[in-house]
Amino acid sequence: MPTALREWQAAFAARLCGEAEAGDRRLAIHRHHIASSLAKVLAATFPTVQTLVGGDFFRRLAQAYVARDLPVQPVLAEYGAGFPGFVATWAPADGLPYLADMARLDWALNAAFYSPRGPALAAADLAVLPPERLAASSLLLAPGAAVIRSRYPIDLIWAASQPGAPDEKVDLGLRAASLLVMRRPDDAGFMVLSEGEAVFIEGVGEGLSLEAAAGAAFAVDGVFELTRSFGRLLVCEVFAAVR
Amino acid sequence: MKAAAGIGLRAPHLAEIDRDRPKTGFLEIHAENYLLTSPAFDIVERLRTDYALSVHAVGLSLGSVDGLDEHHLARVAALVDRLQPALVSDHLAWSTNGGRYFNDLLPLPYTEEALEVVVCNVGRLQDALGRQVLVENPSCYMSLAPSTVPEPAFLGELVRRSGCGLLLDANNIHVTAHNLGLDPQAWLDGLPVDAIGEYHLAGHAVNEADGETILIDDHGSAVADPVWRLFGKCVERFGARPALIEWDTDIPALSVLLDEAHRADLVLAAGGRHADRAA
Repeated sequence: MPTALREWQAAFAARLCGEAEAGDRRLAIHRHHIASSLAKVLAATFPTVQTLVGGDFFRRLAQAYVARDLPVQPVLAEYGAGFPGFVATWAPADGLPYLADMARLDWALNAAFYSPRGPALAAADLAVLPPERLAASSLLLAPGAAVIRSRYPIDLIWAASQPGAPDEKVDLGLRAASLLVMRRPDDAGFMVLSEGEAVFIEGVGEGLSLEAAAGAAFAVDGVFELTRSFGRLLVCEVFAAVR
Repeated sequence: MKAAAGIGLRAPHLAEIDRDRPKTGFLEIHAENYLLTSPAFDIVERLRTDYALSVHAVGLSLGSVDGLDEHHLARVAALVDRLQPALVSDHLAWSTNGGRYFNDLLPLPYTEEALEVVVCNVGRLQDALGRQVLVENPSCYMSLAPSTVPEPAFLGELVRRSGCGLLLDANNIHVTAHNLGLDPQAWLDGLPVDAIGEYHLAGHAVNEADGETILIDDHGSAVADPVWRLFGKCVERFGARPALIEWDTDIPALSVLLDEAHRADLVLAAGGRHADRAA
């Protein structure tokens, strides 16, 4: 039912989203607060992107995104899912082809940071299973675990953008990268995966049995060693439980 | 809860407070920053054992004509249930419309219809939490044509009809009174004397353009002298209550916040007298 307040709030919201109105300094205070506070939220969620492009460039990028996609709810750690895709299409960033991948890495690190930390599967939990049962088992990944792939060495670009990193150029053509992003006890971080490991974890994440996931890994990576890689991943607490 | 001064718990100070456990009356967190589990939330859970907590929501949008977002409300209720804070609050404002969240405390025209909306939303919130909440007076930048009731009278009627308490922000009173040309003393005189459950103190920015000065509630500096004096008048009139130092942009060293809280403690202890000389 239309009411005076409903119409008034909808009209006020429309003015906030519309073109700036000349002479309305007071409404501009709200417009400015919305744009600048949400740009700061995006800077906190995408710190590597901000470091790579600098504060002024990032502010323009973030405010362009804010103008297109406002949050849909008040938990701002969940705001920005569409930002990496926006970065990929934003013309002023055309000269930085790796930037959207860095945004995807930042987003995955943010998601991992805000993931619950539960008990992890340990070697002892699996030792009780007969080998054929183990091979047919499928495992749950830890909350927040995600594989991020790029044709660029985004792990090196990330390291070079950290505070105190030596001022060295990263060779963008050096290699592709597959990273496993995870929640750690006090933060979120990532480890570099081989191609076989990346395919293996993606297979496990999709619910394949260990045997089937390992088969997919062998198919793309002839040097994939299941025992060695599985042990390495187990120690990193990437598996939460047997499904 | 003791009528002592506390500080807003902000990310840059989390590790230091967790390590040193400095003495302060209470810690206030923004609800929306702790609705997801994280290493930061783990610290807050640890701090619970040593500090009284206040959960201050900024996004419930109590003034929304569409009612509260039930999903968000359920998350806030789960947080309150888990942390068992001494105080829970949000603002007399709205921030959501048509599925968009504006991340700002937008102004509400003070009409009978708006009052009914806020009473209904505060009632829903108090029912969901099973407790009384405090509603904070906002900083206002514009007089809204539809308003028919002064802000203090609107707040008083909200208290009477919903049973909520008030969180009185002395900086917001100062900012609103300046921007709208109101008398802060008359503003205070218009409030019910027994409804105040907490005070907020913060800094504001002074924005001058086109021969006009507008004060902006940016929480980015020390509490200004006129706001300390107004805080003293609040304490004289409404009594000592928990009082929070809020600082959200250009966040200084923790010791600066604790010094401001110490000054607020002196004002509370003196019953509001000599607020301009308490430093």
